[in-house]
Amino acid sequence: MIRQRWMVCSAVMLLACITASSARADGSLAQVAQQVNPKLVKVFGSGGFRGLASYGTGLIVSPDGYILTVVSPLLDTRDLRVHLSDGRRYHCKMICMEPELDIALVKIDTKEKLDDLPYFDISALAKKQPVDAGTGVLAFSNQFQIATRDEPMSVQRGRVAAYAKLQARRGIFAAAYKGNVYVVDAITNNPGAGGGALTTRSGELIGIIGKELQNEATNTWINYAIPISAAVEVIEAENKKRMVSIAEVVEKKEKYAPSRKDELKTKEENYHGIVLVPDVVEFTPPYVEEVRPGSPAEKAGLLPDDLIVYIDGEQIPNIKAFKEIMGTIRPGTKIALEVRRGDKLQTLSLTVAEPRKKPR
Amino acid sequence: MWHARSWMTPLVLTAALLALATPTRAADDLETLREQAIKTALKKVSPSVVTIETSGGTDIIVVGPANPRGGGGGAKIRKGTGPTTGLIVSADGYVITSAFNFANNPSSIFVSVAGHTQKYVGKVIATDQTRMLTLLKIEVKDLPVPTAVPKKDIRVGQTVLAVGRTLAQAVDHPPSVSEGIISAVGRIWGKALQTDAKISPTNYGGPLTDLEGKVLGVLVPASPRTEGQTAGFEWYDSGIGFAIPLEDINQVLPRLKQGKDLTRGVLGVTMQGADQFGTAPVVGTVAAASAAEQTGLKAGDIIKEINGKAVLNYAQVLHQLGTHYEGDAITIKIERGGKEQVFNNVKLGGAVAAFGQIYLGILPMRDDPEPGVEIRYVYPKSPAETAKLQIGDRITKVGPAQGNNLIEVKSRDDLSRLLATARPNAQIKLEVIPKGEKKAKTVTVALTEMPETVPAELPEKSSKEKALTRKGTPAPPKKEDKKDDKKEDEKKIPTGLINRMNAAQDHKYWLYVPDDYNPEISYSLVIWLHPVGKNREKDVKQLVSDWEDYCSKNHIILVGPNSENDAGWIASEVEFVLEAAKFAMENYTIDRRRVVAHGMGLGGQLAIYLGFSSRDLVRGVATVGAVPNQNPKERVPTQPLRFFIVTGEKDPIKEAVNAGQAKLAEYKYPVIYRVLKEKGHQYFDEDSIATLKELVRWIDSLDRM
Repeated sequence: MIRQRWMVCSAVMLLACITASSARADGSLAQVAQQVNPKLVKVFGSGGFRGLASYGTGLIVSPDGYILTVVSPLLDTRDLRVHLSDGRRYHCKMICMEPELDIALVKIDTKEKLDDLPYFDISALAKKQPVDAGTGVLAFSNQFQIATRDEPMSVQRGRVAAYAKLQARRGIFAAAYKGNVYVVDAITNNPGAGGGALTTRSGELIGIIGKELQNEATNTWINYAIPISAAVEVIEAENKKRMVSIAEVVEKKEKYAPSRKDELKTKEENYHGIVLVPDVVEFTPPYVEEVRPGSPAEKAGLLPDDLIVYIDGEQIPNIKAFKEIMGTIRPGTKIALEVRRGDKLQTLSLTVAEPRKKPR
Repeated sequence: MWHARSWMTPLVLTAALLALATPTRAADDLETLREQAIKTALKKVSPSVVTIETSGGTDIIVVGPANPRGGGGGAKIRKGTGPTTGLIVSADGYVITSAFNFANNPSSIFVSVAGHTQKYVGKVIATDQTRMLTLLKIEVKDLPVPTAVPKKDIRVGQTVLAVGRTLAQAVDHPPSVSEGIISAVGRIWGKALQTDAKISPTNYGGPLTDLEGKVLGVLVPASPRTEGQTAGFEWYDSGIGFAIPLEDINQVLPRLKQGKDLTRGVLGVTMQGADQFGTAPVVGTVAAASAAEQTGLKAGDIIKEINGKAVLNYAQVLHQLGTHYEGDAITIKIERGGKEQVFNNVKLGGAVAAFGQIYLGILPMRDDPEPGVEIRYVYPKSPAETAKLQIGDRITKVGPAQGNNLIEVKSRDDLSRLLATARPNAQIKLEVIPKGEKKAKTVTVALTEMPETVPAELPEKSSKEKALTRKGTPAPPKKEDKKDDKKEDEKKIPTGLINRMNAAQDHKYWLYVPDDYNPEISYSLVIWLHPVGKNREKDVKQLVSDWEDYCSKNHIILVGPNSENDAGWIASEVEFVLEAAKFAMENYTIDRRRVVAHGMGLGGQLAIYLGFSSRDLVRGVATVGAVPNQNPKERVPTQPLRFFIVTGEKDPIKEAVNAGQAKLAEYKYPVIYRVLKEKGHQYFDEDSIATLKELVRWIDSLDRM
């Protein structure tokens, strides 16, 4: 009984609270928008044909006019312009792009003295822990170019649906950026939204809205933002590993050297000794037809008729996927193979070997 | 509906107190509370939400459930290969999920469960085809079963969470979430909850929960439309999403566990009039051997109540029937001759027809403005042959064997319609004017079911070549005739290979019209749906060169839409395919009885889909190297659909094709099934030209009856 009364009491208070403060809640959102808007710019560049928008959004990341946005054809012009929140218009020049993060840094190009622009402190923000699924967020962008000159950005409300990798979902979302993203349940996947801000409800920047991305297999669009803390490992020439991060791009500015993936090295030559069934239809499951005698596959205990299901935890839905992933594995690497044998999954360990010399 | 749960009470109180002290902050704290509640709910439901991965299967477009009158429209897209979501429904290893997730008939299914490092092989136990749900079994015990929210407690406006695994597949972490409200209950003919949370392939099969982590339903793509091309999936992330109430699922779980697919319960009546909403539901026809016939329903009966609920129009009848499965018993109150009558325990039938298409055994002469039907060909060993009908005879009247009330036969389509609703073994009487005579005679014919045969040879003459001279015959409409006439006066109708764009200018298609095209002859329209990537210029030329002789000799026009991207067809392109077909039908003389969807590979899957989804248009489906869907829609007597299924002997999907064609036959569709000896996954070539010729004859004989 006591509990019940508590509940009624709380419910009443809650109601009162909601009624009394709903106006103020809106007020607080308005305050947040007021804080965030001056740090955003509307970007204008090339495009306007073949469905490409000639406009986008950007984040001011320094008091002297460096602006962070996403890589897009829009930037591919000498006549890149931004409109600040107070209506001032400037030309911009490209500073650098980081292909692995899909971001670009541009700078306001003016003889005017600029040193007091409100900005996002990327270095500090990049150190924060990512927020988890369910967190309420706001998305600010100039989607559909609704805002012009000094008009504030469009604000959307939503939640973080997931903090997850897109690329891990093989075949679902093919994005340049391979790290974790915030997927949100607000529809941010719109022309011009790319480069906009994803913030917490209190206006703290957590991500930069990614450019429009479509799942080619199902024609579904995804609403996502690249986290400000984004950092990914790139393998450059001579197998050198390097971490690239948004913070580094923003800190180094002109001195930043974009990563250069060694395209030649992405295809590995190796030998495993697994012969799969012929890949004739588009979705042939990777059944083992034959295991070469004395091969790494035989040593691993692989048998004909095994169905390869996972390699190092990544699902292998078809032969194409098998070939793709085996093409990235260096000789000498030990991989975990999970195979379906009968109705059970078995884990085998296979050490990929050097390619065999061709017999002369 | 906000349940102030005990665990929340202190939080709520804190919020309230804060509200009094610092109102602005309180608003934020309320939001914080809400956010915490959501995260807690997620954690709570998380262990019951599993990740499902699949291997193999066709890269496919799928047909929805056997349910042409509304009900879960079904999935039909090119499926991605990412993981999907399922919900544990019983502790001993049963998982329910959206049938969408197995749309491509995968060869293996793997399920990850929270707290288990091992992944389990999942077996499909049964599918609820009315609600697009599939039950899986994994060999694990003591799984956490979520609490179901009773349907009576579900309120429009209450906050809900749509939960999925595609974006958060690690089962020891909370799943992905989208927040929304319940927008409506009792949607999709009474079967589904509607929500404005973002529902998409990333959470199909996952739960829709409340703020306490209790489960309201399971997310599915669904559409209330009759045979819409854009059912369900097209609404992903749109703010219109659906979930099947978990309470309903739990109720049928014992039946699903027995391993039998659940299908829609069919009463077996059609209604008079086309208006579903405006008029009282008066029975138009009663299907032979249906629940309605067995009960004794008759044409003209007005349905007043179903299961004690008053029904004022046909839509309400569908709504009441919509939730029922085959075998369910219902109560119907009708009005007949001003008196009310109640039928108790009416056991609903299934979608599988009791018998196949009706067979007289003739081909009609086409484009004939004279009244009656001239016989072009008599099938060997057919009822027509037994009745000694001859080529050149003209059928003028038809009626039941008993009595003398024969109905005049105006045209081919007229006769076909009159025969369609008869039963096999029924005796009918025909009035026939024998060839070269003036005086009519009557013959009695015992109808049978249509066998699957293609004549080895057909009489070349198939048309009276007076297609534009119509007298009192309904098709094609007059407007089009005029258009054709006018065109002819103005300029020559374009023939040969014609490249075109659709109205929206975003899709290409081509037409091939034989150079000797004659608008007085009705042509068959073959809609070619190319396999993945085979839509280059040289591919089109190759196909046209394969077909051009037949196009001219057998009066065929080809139309070839191009898929938008090289990865293949997607469902939304069906609209465009239809647009291309309609262009051909509006500008050329097309025989509506011989419109064929023909495709290979993924294009073949689309052809099958097109056949089932565009019943008013497509009369034949011919595929090479494509797996027919496992769940065909039920046969519609007045909209016959026939299949010509071809596979290579060495095509790895041969077994699946074989199983699919057998399923079509089980649903009483006439199916020709041909296996090309020594061939793999490929189109007709020189060795298999006999089968291509057979296909051409099959197309030529699609108007047989």
